[in-house]
Amino acid sequence: MLLHINPALFKLLHGYPPWIMPTDGNLGDKNVQMGKPGHREGATMHVKKYLLKCLHRLQKGPGYTYKELLVWYCDNTNTHGPKRIICEGPKKKAVWFLLTLLFTALVCWQWGIFIRTYLSWEVSVSLSVGFKTMDFPAVTICNASPFKYSKVKHLLKDLDELMEAVLERILAPELSHANATRTLNSSIWNHTPLVLIDERNPHHPVVFDLFGDNHNGLTNSSASEKICNAHGCKMAMRLCSLNGTQCTFRNFTSATQAVTEWYSLQATNIFAQVPQQELVEMSYPGEQMILACLFGAEPCNYRNFTSIFYPHYGNCYIFNWGMTEKALPSANPGTEFGLKLILDIGQEDYVPFLASTAGVRLMLHEQRSYPFIRDEGIYAMSGTETSIGVLVDKLQRMGEPYSPCTVNGSEVPVQNFYSDYNTTYSIQACLRSCFQDHMIRSCKCGHYLYPLPRGEKYCNNRDFPDWAHCYSDLQMSVAQRETCIGMCKESCNDTQYKMTISMADWPSEASEDWIFHVLSQERDQSTNITLSRKGIVKLNIYFQEFNYRTIEESAANNLVWLLSNLGGQFGFWMGGSVLCLIEFGEIIIDFVWITIIKLVALAKSLRQRRAQASYSGPPPTVAELVEAHTNFGFQPDTAPRSPNTGPYPSEQALPIPGTPPPNYDSLRLQPLDVIESDSEGDAI
Amino acid sequence: MAPGEKIKAKIKKNLPVTGPQAPTIKELMRWYCLNTNTHGCRRIVVSRGRLRRLLWIGFTLTAVALILWQCALLVFSFYTVSVSIKVHFRKLDFPAVTICNINPYKYSAVRNLLADLEQETREALKSLYGFPESRKRREAESWSSVLEGMQPRFSHRIPLLIFDQYEKGKARDFFTGRKRKVDGRIIHKASNVMHIESKQVVGFQLCSNDTSDCATYTFSSGINAIQEWYKLHYMNIMAQVPLEKKINMSYSAEELLVTCFFDGVSCDARNFTLFHHPMHGNCYTFNNRENETILSTSMGGSEYGLQVILYINEEEYNPFLVSSTGAKVIIHRQDEYPFVEDVGTEIETAMVTSIGMHLTESFKLSEPYSQCTEDGSDVPIRNIYNAAYSLQICLHSCFQTKMVEKCGCAQYSQPLPPAANYCNYQQHPNWMYCYYQLHRAFVQEELGCQSVCKEACSFKEWTLTTSLAQWPSVVSEKWLLPVLTWDQGRQINKKLNKTDLAKLLIFYKDLNQRSIMESPANSIEMLLSNFGGQLGLWMSCSVVCVIEIIEVFFIDFFSIIARRQWQKAKEWWARKQAPPCPEAPRSPQGQDNPALDIDNDLPTFNSALHLPPALGTQVPGTPPPKYNTLRLERAFSNQLTDTQILDEL
Repeated sequence: MLLHINPALFKLLHGYPPWIMPTDGNLGDKNVQMGKPGHREGATMHVKKYLLKCLHRLQKGPGYTYKELLVWYCDNTNTHGPKRIICEGPKKKAVWFLLTLLFTALVCWQWGIFIRTYLSWEVSVSLSVGFKTMDFPAVTICNASPFKYSKVKHLLKDLDELMEAVLERILAPELSHANATRTLNSSIWNHTPLVLIDERNPHHPVVFDLFGDNHNGLTNSSASEKICNAHGCKMAMRLCSLNGTQCTFRNFTSATQAVTEWYSLQATNIFAQVPQQELVEMSYPGEQMILACLFGAEPCNYRNFTSIFYPHYGNCYIFNWGMTEKALPSANPGTEFGLKLILDIGQEDYVPFLASTAGVRLMLHEQRSYPFIRDEGIYAMSGTETSIGVLVDKLQRMGEPYSPCTVNGSEVPVQNFYSDYNTTYSIQACLRSCFQDHMIRSCKCGHYLYPLPRGEKYCNNRDFPDWAHCYSDLQMSVAQRETCIGMCKESCNDTQYKMTISMADWPSEASEDWIFHVLSQERDQSTNITLSRKGIVKLNIYFQEFNYRTIEESAANNLVWLLSNLGGQFGFWMGGSVLCLIEFGEIIIDFVWITIIKLVALAKSLRQRRAQASYSGPPPTVAELVEAHTNFGFQPDTAPRSPNTGPYPSEQALPIPGTPPPNYDSLRLQPLDVIESDSEGDAI
Repeated sequence: MAPGEKIKAKIKKNLPVTGPQAPTIKELMRWYCLNTNTHGCRRIVVSRGRLRRLLWIGFTLTAVALILWQCALLVFSFYTVSVSIKVHFRKLDFPAVTICNINPYKYSAVRNLLADLEQETREALKSLYGFPESRKRREAESWSSVLEGMQPRFSHRIPLLIFDQYEKGKARDFFTGRKRKVDGRIIHKASNVMHIESKQVVGFQLCSNDTSDCATYTFSSGINAIQEWYKLHYMNIMAQVPLEKKINMSYSAEELLVTCFFDGVSCDARNFTLFHHPMHGNCYTFNNRENETILSTSMGGSEYGLQVILYINEEEYNPFLVSSTGAKVIIHRQDEYPFVEDVGTEIETAMVTSIGMHLTESFKLSEPYSQCTEDGSDVPIRNIYNAAYSLQICLHSCFQTKMVEKCGCAQYSQPLPPAANYCNYQQHPNWMYCYYQLHRAFVQEELGCQSVCKEACSFKEWTLTTSLAQWPSVVSEKWLLPVLTWDQGRQINKKLNKTDLAKLLIFYKDLNQRSIMESPANSIEMLLSNFGGQLGLWMSCSVVCVIEIIEVFFIDFFSIIARRQWQKAKEWWARKQAPPCPEAPRSPQGQDNPALDIDNDLPTFNSALHLPPALGTQVPGTPPPKYNTLRLERAFSNQLTDTQILDEL
């Protein structure tokens, strides 16, 4: 079989020396130059010669046929399987061939699995628990009532009167009838009235205003109200859009909730029209609220707290926020080294309809983060000492592409309205900004509880008469919430403060007297007791014995992992390495070379056949060719041309008659012959 | 020749079955060492000098040992898990919330059932401690005078006794005042935990059927003794009351829930499902309707959670059964059974209890990674609860089943297994003794429940942050209480006091869900690549080398030995066959006729067999055919080193 190929190869090699193989125009020119070395001489000649030699060497493969190449590869490769294929008997050869194929397939499959695992960007977590000196958390303290009633009374006067009338109406309808002459601000009432819905007849629910005489009632109101105390009646808030044509009823199953919601909606409307500076003054000042403060052994006072106005709770005070000065560290566990506070909440001055819960709202959060105290805050009760042991539960995530989170919120498509406070990104801030954004877009005004973007106004009844209807729609809309959840991303660093809360009565009966005396003296400079058990709260916030639990993500599968596993698999099945892959690549290049050589030879032989049509010599016999092939005589340089020209009569027919093939060409033949004779011996 | 024969011959010719080409084991080893891909072996052969060779043998063997050791470690550590903690911010399902009044039944409704018991308890208290009747239950006085002449039923069955520390084995029956001898064991409840110093100890005696085997239980304080004693009788009485009657005696949802608000929307009693608990009466579960979709929250914070105001009527409390006031709340999965008495959070009256939740989900890997069960189907305990499997359910089911087996009746505070009745002393007079014995065995893990029950593989856990505040505040109290009274006016005719009310807020603090997941730390691919790493590191070996080793050491090695044995046997046989004329030994299959051998099944095998004796002195006239030896050498010489080629030449 090899013999069939060789003549063509020989012709090819003689006709086209291998350096023109790349079929490059430049090289073709060189061929012409090389063909006539005697005509041109110079230094460039030598350089070219040298370069050509280099090229030639590069082109030297281990063989000229596919079989040779494969045999050579199998014999010399470092992977373990192929060697066996060639050095065993025919049966074992087959077995080893199959085994090698099998192992190669296995390796490829396993590599696929590993690469897929690597690209899934899995993370592994490490958990560490212990105690270390850490920054004490920022502590936000609010009073449950946003304002002092004595200071906001003038604003809420109309509303309170109305509320009292409503309550009277609900509790004793016939009694209030006599009192109906009282002057009430009907504009507030008419905007969003409370109604009773009689649902005893489910097909014809009867709706009537609570003040039937103010409003053109549908039925005789006083009569139906009496009946409506019984089962089957419910309260609702009527929310109408501008022209009063489109109305929705927000239903409540209990009167308590109805009046509470109604009142807070009206109060929101009132407070939204007051500038914030005035609101701050109406709320609880720091020096009245914070009576005593001790951090570790260091005394502190209300000046160590940063004041922030939180619409729902009025003035809130943040200790250790870390905005202007460095955060305070705490290096010891236990109550003695934590924050101790005595607060006065002044329960007697609560806004009665707005704050039904009495106590301190309190929240621990990270430095420089905005306290969303309404969602995450806890209560502390008056007349008690509340001890809070803190464990900092930190989660640090890797970010993209490992986990979907954001480091600073810059890539979140929601404008952060809380950035005015100079706080860090949090998903809570994002969700609220998102809501406010929706609110401004659909209602044209911002909600009082959330910060405003520039150039927008808070909603109130005067300027935006149908805001309540719009807000109520938006608040109940599930789609709005889900869009916001979809848009907002969680922050990569998530810190939670796990609290162990315990309570005890404070002050004790024995110490009550002197403690109140001292505190009254300090705050109001009065010798009488101005404080009471109902208004006083003691707080101890301290680190627990183990104060941190950090969960840190790290890449589960890094590049080293991937490489070592790829290596392990390749080594395990075939004993291979990267160098084996390079070997394989080399063989493929050689393969391509051989293919190109063959194709060129084919093309050449076709052209030759056409040229040979005129030639009338006998074609070279196989025997002649074999002889030429196995003739070692022409191989050294000392026997130059005669053996070459002898057995190849076809050479005369070549288009370039006067150019004998260069010497190294014949040199190239040598390894071919050696290998061939070997392989022939094997084959026979 | 037949065509079949022809093909056979052709196959034989083209694919000859050859044995190992090495004639001896030494040769085989040499060949293997020179040609194998593993490093080290070659060194043994190539090295010159005995010391070096020994060293290399040592190194190679050490490497093999290390590989085996490391691979064994890898295999043994295969079933380990890695834990990952993930946090998702998403819409969360709101858990089911079960709310119970601490007091199971309205005392006014159950009083006629418990009248005798109450009477006797009062008598006992009077005679034990001698205090006068409380002002509140003044009417009981009249009751006691009515019942004066009656025979005490309860203390007759289980007498309350006072033990004097100085008189061992003597006790005074509080009712008759007689001293009686106490034989049998005296079990001090909790006496192994603390030392009791008091002079007087109160307890009661439980006897089995024939009253010969008695156990006396004593308590450090009369409070515990009386409550425990009361509870036993109470369970007895309630076990005989049908379920519908019990539900009617307990609180209705409208009564318990004054207001309800979830996610900004009003809700009412219809959103709650009734769940009757034997010891806590009517409990109501929010968000547990099977036919409805599970409610979820898409915002954190108290206003988007559940807000309820509960009406807790302290006047209807049973004075002996419960001594605290309030409600119990359990947050659980929809398909989970609420174990009210085990895991409830208590709620105080005149307070707002704010419960912030964080959701943590845990997933464990089941067998073979850890001993947990996915759905309890592989646990040999029948689940008597109508709920998904949990460890608690398994333990209770196990105990109840054992109770039915041993005592013949079921314990009151747990559900009934099929075809069983609750215990009462009309039908099972001595069940209490049996129960106490069984309970003790259960606690001391003698029943085997703890070893049979496995934990569930996945569970949801809500971490609660509970805080309290005063509610209603002083100034809002004035208007809030009348409105609440008006709300509740449909059920009760009474002006509400603030100590009758409790407010409860349950909400997600934020919508971060933590999931703790176990995943296999190793996979087969990892194991194999680790093997590959080890093999490659120590010896540059691969599976191919392992196959080589199997081939050489387990096939060729033994075939060479077998060949040699076969040859010896044949020699021996030939000698035995022809003892008189040793001159013509191998006439039937002599090696001078190789054609015979080739016809055999294993031609080269046989011919190779004769090689060593052929070289020997025994065969005088006929040297082995040249091509035979040549063939052997040739097949081998392909791979041999130059030294051997030299030999050949």
